[in-house]
Amino acid sequence: MPGGTRDPRALCRSRAGFRLAGLLGCLFPLTGFAHEIRPAYLDVREQADGRLEVSWKVPTLAAAFGEQLPSLPAAAGQQYPVARSGEHEACGCPSLWARPRSSLAMPIHPVFPEHFKVLSPPRVEALEDSELWTWSFEPPVGGLDGAEFGAHGLDVATMDVLVHVVTADGRVVTRLLTPAVSSLTLTADQRVQLGGYLRLGIAHILLGVDHLLFVLGLLLIVPDRWMLLKTVTAFTVAHSLTLAVATLGYAEAPLEPLNVTIALSILFLGPEIVRFRRGETSLTIRHPWVVAFAFGLLHGFGFASGLRTLGLPAGEIPLALLLFNVGVEIGQVGFVLLVLGLVTSFRVLEVRWSRPARALPGFAVGSLGAFWFVQRLVIMASGWR
Amino acid sequence: MPVSLEGRCVSKRGDRLANRISRLGLVTTVLIGGCASTQAHLVNTGLGPFYDGVLHLVLSPDEMLGVAGMALLAGLGGAQFGRIALFTLPLAWLAGSMLGMTGRINLVFPAATGLALLIIGMLVAWDRALPPSMKPVIPAVFGLFMGLMNGAAATAGSLRMSGLIGVAATVFVLVALLAAFTVWLAGRPPWTRIVVRVAGSWIAAIGLLLTGWALR
Repeated sequence: MPGGTRDPRALCRSRAGFRLAGLLGCLFPLTGFAHEIRPAYLDVREQADGRLEVSWKVPTLAAAFGEQLPSLPAAAGQQYPVARSGEHEACGCPSLWARPRSSLAMPIHPVFPEHFKVLSPPRVEALEDSELWTWSFEPPVGGLDGAEFGAHGLDVATMDVLVHVVTADGRVVTRLLTPAVSSLTLTADQRVQLGGYLRLGIAHILLGVDHLLFVLGLLLIVPDRWMLLKTVTAFTVAHSLTLAVATLGYAEAPLEPLNVTIALSILFLGPEIVRFRRGETSLTIRHPWVVAFAFGLLHGFGFASGLRTLGLPAGEIPLALLLFNVGVEIGQVGFVLLVLGLVTSFRVLEVRWSRPARALPGFAVGSLGAFWFVQRLVIMASGWR
Repeated sequence: MPVSLEGRCVSKRGDRLANRISRLGLVTTVLIGGCASTQAHLVNTGLGPFYDGVLHLVLSPDEMLGVAGMALLAGLGGAQFGRIALFTLPLAWLAGSMLGMTGRINLVFPAATGLALLIIGMLVAWDRALPPSMKPVIPAVFGLFMGLMNGAAATAGSLRMSGLIGVAATVFVLVALLAAFTVWLAGRPPWTRIVVRVAGSWIAAIGLLLTGWALR
């Protein structure tokens, strides 16, 4: 009833819908933080003299919650008297850290072959959203072939580790370690595993509930197939652009304000969905592809966080970027097809949803967007203090 | 021109397709029968328990066949039966899984899945109109039963509550897609209904094979 008097009962139902969606909003974000989207990164470089320079970059919770890392006064550049402190990890492995780690670092650690000997003690550097540990190892007896690298704690933290090994003869091996396959044994014929970056992209979109919710919101205001094609294409082009720009290092967006604006983009769609359902119109409803393109640029920076935090070597970035983006698109297209398939199925099965049930997706999108917006704003503000 | 059991004419094309599908069904039966242990292979996707639940169901051929059989049966029964199964089956599956996780009710016996598939497959192949009172009962009982076994497997593995929700959500999506497709297909030329019934006969055959394998 565009422009007409509001029915008090409908208003009441709308409020009930908002409350229900608000409740969902309280429940979903809590579970949303349970999985770490950013992978850790283990870089092993064999030097000409056989020494190994090893870097371990592990995400910290600081970026997720906007908190500052505790200061590490004795960390950066510090030489330690011993590499192994005698302490043990939760899994029973001897500690490699030589000092207690930040409680905000993800509870995972790399595993090196037992015969590897540490040449120089580890150094730690606190980055914006991660900790970077570096070691030097003596030339391993028998070289790198047959050496097994792994990571412990992936099943507990539900996260992946990208392993990147460069041998002295220029061979590059890249593998994604997952909770299911958490180690890599080097052999002479290994090369870059392309599937790893693809899987990272798919995982990034499937775990990025905010991105999926934005796509769902777009689907809810698209009137026909042609507009659907235009809107999804606009979103894809836009986020691919900024994903490339951010990953190649031409531009970057600070994580906390970016997360706030991504939440704002979802919140923005909530009222538009309600307006569309009421038969009203707006610029967004008439040209959803414009909004998809504009906000897609922001979401692209968000996608880039999945690759940027790795600190990949420059030579591998183009291929990684391409495959990561293809993975994101596979996840996104799969989600769109699933939603369309379900909508068609409900039509064929003549499912008649009640009014609150029909209103629920719109309210859920709006309420979750509002919740995330406020939550991320508070996180960002607490980071400024 | 071949004639179906109901006396309806079936085209040669449909007959050939049904034959081809029957042969394919035999191969599928052998392949799935070869999967000796399909009970408790819990998958770790690395994407968290919800997706573990999704993949657990997708990679369990026996459970997938059960869901497919139920969706085909509901689809053959028309849009109304499809709607009933759409909401009853996932909820019953979830309830059964939660019960199964408590470990208080243990219905797991070697031939359980095989028998369930046999019954559902035979109902699809039989293609008779079910009494209205049975329409909510069949998916509810089937869902509870499969869920109980699923819950027992979840207890043995690491599938938590969100994993069970992932399983139930996947059941919902599969039933929606497949039941709607069957409703759409059953409204086409008569031979398409035969194709669905042939698919039901595979499921029954696989159920029989799994039962025999379990009781050997």
